[in-house]
Amino acid sequence: MKPVNAVDELIEALRCLPGVGPKSAQRMAFHLLQHDPAGAQRLGAALARALASVRRCARCNTFTEEEVCALCASPKRDPSALCIVETPADLATMEQTMAYRGHYFVLMGRLSPLDGVGPHEIGLDRLLARATDGAVKEVVLATNFTNEGEATAHYIGEMLRDRGLRITRIARGIPVGGELEYVDAGTLAQAFYERRPA
Amino acid sequence: MSSRQRVDHQPAFVLHAYPYSETSLLVEAYTRAHGRLPLVAKGARRQGSALRGALLAFQPLTFAWSGRGEVRTLVRCDWQGGHPLPRGQALLCGFYLNELLLRLLPREDPHELLFDHYAQAVARLAAGAASAPVLRAFERRLLQELGYAVALERDAASGAAIEPDGTYRYEPERGPIPVLPGAAGGDPLLLKGRVLLALARDDYADAATAAAARDLMRALIDHRLDRQTLHSRTVFRALQDL
Ligand SMILES: [Zn+2]
Repeated sequence: MKPVNAVDELIEALRCLPGVGPKSAQRMAFHLLQHDPAGAQRLGAALARALASVRRCARCNTFTEEEVCALCASPKRDPSALCIVETPADLATMEQTMAYRGHYFVLMGRLSPLDGVGPHEIGLDRLLARATDGAVKEVVLATNFTNEGEATAHYIGEMLRDRGLRITRIARGIPVGGELEYVDAGTLAQAFYERRPA
Repeated sequence: MSSRQRVDHQPAFVLHAYPYSETSLLVEAYTRAHGRLPLVAKGARRQGSALRGALLAFQPLTFAWSGRGEVRTLVRCDWQGGHPLPRGQALLCGFYLNELLLRLLPREDPHELLFDHYAQAVARLAAGAASAPVLRAFERRLLQELGYAVALERDAASGAAIEPDGTYRYEPERGPIPVLPGAAGGDPLLLKGRVLLALARDDYADAATAAAARDLMRALIDHRLDRQTLHSRTVFRALQDL
């Protein structure tokens, strides 16, 4: 094995980031060392601190430093609604809508049968306990409209069926302000298949 | 000889896709005339990419690609439509079909009839058809195309017609062999003639026969998988235990 010097090790370590190949990793490493040692110091400290203090919220499974995250602890949120999303990024996007005022559960993934990701890997047992805590009346399924996200929504719906909960799925279709002429055929076809009485 | 090869307008499905770089996807494509092959979809992971929504499994597409060697580049993807995407349990069945193709069909081994059969199976699942006949028919067709046709109407020892009440042992490399009726003991390869005949007719009205037919096909598929486990089956079982 060749001896690993500190620069090579940094380049190698940066490659764990999504989409960072050897060239970008080298560019990042040289940038940090050459032009921004203070930034590098902050990055190192922030990483170490996050790793030491960040854990999963006991209620919604998202990242937090507390036992329960700020959103779950907030008295302003409606405890009767629980929205299921795949990732913390999806939660943040839902929040931007300002259309939803309830609570969340973050799966940190989706069912993906071809990759061997099943119900245990995405914590459906914890979701079941959370959704049946007595306060939740409606479960909103906001997983992605991919085949994996659809399968995830379906099986969560099946799991929670007959438990006295209202189960809803976010709608899909033509984008807001969309003109049919400019919408792709697949989206328009699915919007037609899922048309509703008007 | 040109150094780049371009293929246009190939009927195709996406079997699976993996992130390839920050902006591209590696698509396991299943095409009619070129079989299963990996294609890089550049930019498909970019926000707002038209490819992003189109490169979904279970929808009929046409692909154009170029390049040579191990991995070629997808240059065009056109949505063909014809049916909605499968939903609910039909989706799990679709994942199972895709995994069978990924595990059993060698790359660049075109089987046009199998492709047509796959397209039809997906359309039937999407239309909400009962899953057992769709899955059993596809399993049989896949094994047949791979050179392991499943003999269902004549016994492999004498060539005599299968008797509904006869007992047979299905030998994967030969076919059904008549045996003396005895304790079945949970061996999926030991079965009544009526199970073979039901498979031949795609008739799964009787639940016990349907279960025996499923177990036989599972055993025959497992025999070809050479100890690989099918993830979609494991996930399906875990979901049923929810
Ligand atoms: Zn929380």
